[in-house]
Amino acid sequence: MKMTIPSFLRSLCTAIALSFAAPTVLADAYNARLPDEINSAPDLCSYAPCAEVLPGATAFTERKGRPFYVEGYAEREGKRELVGYVMLSTDITDIPAYSGKPVITLIGMDAQGHFAGVKILKHSEPILLLGIPESAMVRFNEQYLGKFVGSNIEVGRTRPGEDVIGLDAISGATVTVIAQNQVMMTSGAAVARQVGILEPVVREPARLKETGATLDWATLVREGSVKRLTVRPEQVGLPRDGGEPFIDLWFGYLNQPDVGRAILGEGAWRNLMARLDDTEHAIFVIRSGGQESFKGSGFVRGGLYDRVQIRQGSDTFTFRDLDYYNLYNVAAAGAPAYSESAIFIVRPEHQGASFSGAYPWKFVFLGNRVDRATGQRSFANFDTEFWIPAHYLEGGRPVIRKPTPTWLRVWQTRALEIGLFATLLVTVAAVYANRDRLTRASTHKNKWPVNAFKYTAWVISIGYVGFYLMAQPSITQVLTWFHALLFQWTWELFLTDPFIFLFWIFIIVTVFLWGRGLFCGWLCPFGSLSELLYKIGGWVGLKRYQFKLPKPLHDKLKWVKYAVFFGLLAVSVLSMTLAEMLAEVEPFKTTFLVGLFNRSWPYTLFAAGLLGLSIFIERPFCKYLCPLGAALAMPSTFRWFGLKRKQECDSCKACAVGCGSLAIDKDGRIDQRECLLCLDCMVLYTDDHGCPPLAQERKRRTKAGLPLTPIGADGYYIPIKPVAAAKPASA
Amino acid sequence: MVNPTMPTDPVEPPYAASGTLGLIAAELWDHLWPWSRAAFAGQKAHWRALQAAGLALAAGATLMWVLAAMGRLEAGAIIGWWFGWSVFEVIVRLGSKPYVKEGPWWGRRYRKAGLMDMVCYVGFKNLLIGATLFIALKSAGLLVL
Ligand code: SF4
Ligand code: SF4
Repeated sequence: MKMTIPSFLRSLCTAIALSFAAPTVLADAYNARLPDEINSAPDLCSYAPCAEVLPGATAFTERKGRPFYVEGYAEREGKRELVGYVMLSTDITDIPAYSGKPVITLIGMDAQGHFAGVKILKHSEPILLLGIPESAMVRFNEQYLGKFVGSNIEVGRTRPGEDVIGLDAISGATVTVIAQNQVMMTSGAAVARQVGILEPVVREPARLKETGATLDWATLVREGSVKRLTVRPEQVGLPRDGGEPFIDLWFGYLNQPDVGRAILGEGAWRNLMARLDDTEHAIFVIRSGGQESFKGSGFVRGGLYDRVQIRQGSDTFTFRDLDYYNLYNVAAAGAPAYSESAIFIVRPEHQGASFSGAYPWKFVFLGNRVDRATGQRSFANFDTEFWIPAHYLEGGRPVIRKPTPTWLRVWQTRALEIGLFATLLVTVAAVYANRDRLTRASTHKNKWPVNAFKYTAWVISIGYVGFYLMAQPSITQVLTWFHALLFQWTWELFLTDPFIFLFWIFIIVTVFLWGRGLFCGWLCPFGSLSELLYKIGGWVGLKRYQFKLPKPLHDKLKWVKYAVFFGLLAVSVLSMTLAEMLAEVEPFKTTFLVGLFNRSWPYTLFAAGLLGLSIFIERPFCKYLCPLGAALAMPSTFRWFGLKRKQECDSCKACAVGCGSLAIDKDGRIDQRECLLCLDCMVLYTDDHGCPPLAQERKRRTKAGLPLTPIGADGYYIPIKPVAAAKPASA
Repeated sequence: MVNPTMPTDPVEPPYAASGTLGLIAAELWDHLWPWSRAAFAGQKAHWRALQAAGLALAAGATLMWVLAAMGRLEAGAIIGWWFGWSVFEVIVRLGSKPYVKEGPWWGRRYRKAGLMDMVCYVGFKNLLIGATLFIALKSAGLLVL
């Protein structure tokens, strides 16, 4: 029983998506279809515009080196002269950008190691599709031109004291450019090291320790001297085959005497070691499952094994026929049955790099993956890390500095801003938790105790959160989660945007505590801007033009936002790209991320129209259109702590008339899905001049000369209980 | 006279007065089982037919998860089924257990469910159930995307 989304439906969606995009932006490289050969053909430059990134070069070699690059030559006075090198980023690294997919970049570098050209061939960044024009990315890349690949180039400020060259980020696409910078620097350095522009990384050789222990297979596996690499068929886009792996490999490092002897047996191990000099390293591989050959069927004498390699840091080691020895027998007791085997020799000096058994390395199986939806092939690498157990090294494992992951760098570089933002969130929650004190200090004529806090929150959220941090939550994030939940949940992806990450924690917590009102009513940058405009409109004398839709009409229109939400959800299942585009129903990107005046007129008109309308109707977008508001309203049904009501609310209209959100019905009930927690009705609740039943009681008591007791939590005066007269003292 | 402290009229489900453990068990049962015998007995013929159809659909949805667990179904199909079932569950529950909880989840206040209340309840509950099963299947390696 199989049911997939029909491919014609997918294509239709993509077509619609593209026709949307075409008139508005030039999304050249967005999900561009590249020829399959670009990944594999020796002649890279027949498929990629190499000459564009290496000006002056007229002839290019085939792919060479590990990782790959090509040389570009010019003809000068009849002589061929080296101009520089061109590399395809995905040949070297697969660092993903915001979309979780790499930005495929063609990079040119001159013979002295200066960047000569950068061209993005394909990317999947939604933010560059709509919103930020691709030209911004082009401009970002232009900053590399002429810079030396060995310099310390970072996104951010230039810090001459620390020798750091800064690049200007693209606001709103920080994650994308940080990833892009890593790709540029990793790729450039990998090639520069191979061609001798940069010094190769020198790693201390391992000082191996012999323990004399006799090891069986199970022990070897347990202590990590033998490792496993399993590739399942579905990982390469093939149908599952009853649990049978695509390939199942075991491998280990033979130079360590105890391990080498255990695997090969004493005699064979001595023989092998006698043939190696001290910079050379032996690795064994056996295949215990699967049909696929790791030596490759296309292997010819004198050629290269193209399915397996070793990586240490940014150095890659490949094997030629002379680096291969037969493995006749695995001596260790309990070893699995195997159907293919090899001993490979890592010969670093052939590749201008150093390999050290003391440091971790990766055994890599290179496969092809066929995308089931599009049929496109792409490279897929599968690897398992190996690090020799500490007890086999004199002095234990060396200390290594892992490169900081992208997301962590973002948190580090923006620590101050993150701290301020977190403080804002906590403060607003704390203020709201103490709402009772504020509402009691206010009256229907003077709501400043509440409003001072709320308006401050608005202003900060508009200026700091919205315009400065660009941390406007959006429905596309909700859709992205749905997808991440289904396909692949990577914390890194969410952590790379610290503000959005923290904002969502706040939203989830407060929606369950109090409902969506605290976010929508107090902190949503667009919502705040919208209501602030309404208030300003009132203050500057436009009050008589301000109006509410009649309640019956409002009660119909409020459902529209739910339809918008469910519509987007449904579309996103078919095509995330189309859903991202339709999510433009949120004017957030136009308002905060890109700026009202930087977008094509339909977007500007829409956003400006909504904001203009907000001067006359309170929050029209929030009430009727916002899919995010709808998505948050639904769980608000089950918020834990609602607002207070008293019995008389059923006939009194005072609160309902004052409710800007039209959330109070004719029976005085509050619709928690619509309420934005403005607290106006809570001010009335304890205001003995504003709340009619309270006012009545106040007058009654005053007339009768009774004291005005404080107002209790139930919203009534605390009843006057006659204190029982003291008992007469017994005689 | 309406009670304005709740968004809809208060309701007492049959188990509202049971002890803490009994209440937890009854609520758990309520989340997983949309039908109620009382409602079934007291309803008109077409309602009963609808309930029966619902049972069939539920059986289908269960079978779907079993198939998924056997690695025989793709994600698109699972989502489709789960969504379809959820729509039906809303209708069934409006007939059989037309109430939702009000206020803290550990409290004992219930109220009559309007259509939107029910949509929110079923949507939210089934999202959690679906996500749990999905993650379980995926981490067990039975569902690969
Ligand atoms: S309804 Fe939408 S725009 Fe309005 S405050 Fe809520 S999230 Fe923001
Ligand atoms: S007046 Fe009361 S019900 Fe209306 S939005 Fe404000 S807090 Fe909510």
